[in-house]
Amino acid sequence: MVDQSIAGAGAMAAASDGDRSGRARIVILLLCLGLAVAVLLSLTSGASDASAVSVVGDWLLGAAPGNEALSARDRLIVYDIRLPRVILGVLIGAALAVSGAVMQGLFRNPLADPGLIGVSAGSSLGAVAVIVLGATVLAPVTSVLGTLALPLAAFCGGLATTLVLYQVATRHGRTSVATMLLAGIALAALAMALTGILIFMADDRQLRDLTFWQLGSLAGATWQKIGSVGPVIVLALAAMPFLARGLNALALGEATAGHLGIPVQRLKYTAIVGVSAAVGASIAVSGIGFVGIVVPHLLRLAIGPDNRYLLPASALLGACLLLLADAVARTIVAPAELPIGIVTAIAGAPFFLWILLRKRGVVDL
Amino acid sequence: MIEARDVSVAIGGKGIVANVDFDIRPGEIAAIVGPNGSGKTTFLRALSGDLAYSGEVTINGRDLSVMKPVEAAMLRAVLPQATTLSFPFTVREIVRLGLLGGRSGALPGEDERLPERALARVDLDGFAGRFYQELSGGEQQRVQLARVLCQVWAPVLDGKPRYLFLDEPVSSLDIKHQLIIMNIARDFARRGGGVVAILHDLNLTAMYADRIFVMHRGRLAATGSPQDVLSDDLIEKVFDCRLRVGVLPAGDMPFVLPQSAA
Repeated sequence: MVDQSIAGAGAMAAASDGDRSGRARIVILLLCLGLAVAVLLSLTSGASDASAVSVVGDWLLGAAPGNEALSARDRLIVYDIRLPRVILGVLIGAALAVSGAVMQGLFRNPLADPGLIGVSAGSSLGAVAVIVLGATVLAPVTSVLGTLALPLAAFCGGLATTLVLYQVATRHGRTSVATMLLAGIALAALAMALTGILIFMADDRQLRDLTFWQLGSLAGATWQKIGSVGPVIVLALAAMPFLARGLNALALGEATAGHLGIPVQRLKYTAIVGVSAAVGASIAVSGIGFVGIVVPHLLRLAIGPDNRYLLPASALLGACLLLLADAVARTIVAPAELPIGIVTAIAGAPFFLWILLRKRGVVDL
Repeated sequence: MIEARDVSVAIGGKGIVANVDFDIRPGEIAAIVGPNGSGKTTFLRALSGDLAYSGEVTINGRDLSVMKPVEAAMLRAVLPQATTLSFPFTVREIVRLGLLGGRSGALPGEDERLPERALARVDLDGFAGRFYQELSGGEQQRVQLARVLCQVWAPVLDGKPRYLFLDEPVSSLDIKHQLIIMNIARDFARRGGGVVAILHDLNLTAMYADRIFVMHRGRLAATGSPQDVLSDDLIEKVFDCRLRVGVLPAGDMPFVLPQSAA
C-alpha cells in the first residue's frame, strides 16, 4: 500500500516533468496582483493627498449618494489627470512587451526588439511626417483622420520597416540574426535620415511640437489621446493570443510549423501587422525602448518560452514596469519630469548587455 | 496511399528533381536512397507540401496542392534532418507541439500522457524535464521523432492510413538507437500506416525497406524490392563506387551488420 502510493507519487511527478504551465499560471496571477497594486500606487502618488483607501472607497461607492471618500478637487486629479496617464502607461507597456515577445517568436530570436531593429525608427518617421507635413502636403489625409493620423502614420512606418526587414533577413524559413540586426541598423539610419530632413523643413511651431513628442512622457495623457491610440493597441493585443500556438510551432522552423498544421504565411502577416500597429500606436505617444526585450527575457527565465503564457505575462509585466518607470520619471527630478524613454533606456541598456554576455557563444550570429 | 506522378521540382530556376513517379501503400516502408545532392530531400519536401512542384501528388486520393496545412497535418507527420531552437523549451514542451494541429488518434483523455509514452518509445524515458538545447544531436533527433509520433500516434485514423516522412532519421544515432527507430517505423507500417524514409545505410535499407526508390541526379534510377534493386551494377552507376553486394570481407576483418541483431 505504502509502496503503491510512493510509486503513484513518482508517476505523477514524472507526468508533470518539464511541464511549466502550473508555474506560469501562478506567475500570471501574481502579475495581475502586482499590476493592481502598481495602478493603485500610481493613482494615489503625487502632489494631491488622495490616499489609496479613499480612491478605492470612492470607486466602490461610485455614484452612491453621500459618497464623500474623495473631495471634488481630488476626484478631478485622480480621474482626469492620473487615470488617463495610468491607462496610457498600462496600454503602452503591455503593447511594447507583447510586441517584443511576438517579434522574437516571429524571428525565432530572443534579441529581436522593435526598438533595436529599426521598427520604432520607421514608426517615428511616420509620426514626424504627420507633425511636419500634416498642415501642408498631408492636409487632405490629416483633416479626414484627425487625431488618428499620427498613430496611423506611425503604424504604416513600422509596418513598412518590418516587412522589408523580414524579407531581407529571412531566407528559406531561417532568419539570420546578423542580417536582421544589420538590416535593422540600415533601415533605422535611413528612417532617421528622412526624419532629419523633415525636422530640417519644420517651422518653429512644428519644432516645438516635435520636441515635446520626442521627449515624450506620459504626462500629456488625456482621455482624447487614449481615444486615438487605445483602440489600436487594444485590437492588436486582442489578436496576439491567437498567435501563441502558432509562434510556439514556429520555434521549430517555418517548414515544421507548417507540417504541424499551422498556416504559416497567415501567422507571419498577422504577427507583423499586429506588432506594427502596437508599436506604431505606442510611438505616437512616446519613444520608449528596451521594454520589448527585457520583459519577455525575464519571463522566459521564470516560466519558459511557451507563448500561451509568455504573451499574457509579458503584457502584465510590461504594464507594471512602465508604471514603475513613469513613477521614477516623475519623482526623481520633481517637480520637473524626465522623459520616460530615458528611464527605460538607463535601466534596459545594461540589462541588454548582460543578456549578450550570458548568451555569448550561444547566440547564433 | 500516396501517389506522385511525374513530379518535378525547380528551385530558383534550377531543376533539382525531374519526372519522379513514386507511390507508397499502407503497411509499407519505402526507402529513398541515393548519393548526396541527388534530390532526395527536395523530393520529400515537395511531398510534404513545402515546395512547389509540377506533376500530381495525392494522399489517400486527395490532391496535396489544394490541401490546407491542418488537413495535411492530420494525414502525415514530417521528421526533418535536424532542428535547432533559439528558446529554452523543455523536452516535454517540444514533444507536446506534436499534438498542436492534427489529431493524435489516441483514446480521448490520453493526449496529456502521450509525450511521456512517445519519449519512452524512443528510449528517452525521464528526459521530459531536460532542456532540449542541452541534449546531444542524437538525443535531439529522437525528441523530434517523439514529437512526430505524437502527431500521428494512431497509424490509422477514421479508417484511413496515415504516414510518417522521415528525412535521415538515424543519421546521428548510435547503432542501438538506429535499430530502435527503424523498429518504430516498421511497427507503424505493420499497424496500417505508411513510412517514407530517406536512408544512407544500405544495410539498414535492405533490412527494413519493403521497397527502395533510388535517386540519381534528380531522377529515379531504380525502384523495387531490396533484392531487385541492390545490385553491383546499380551501386556502381548511382554511387560511383565499385562495391559488390553480398560479399564478405577477406580474412579475419571483422564486420557488424544490423541484420545480426538478436
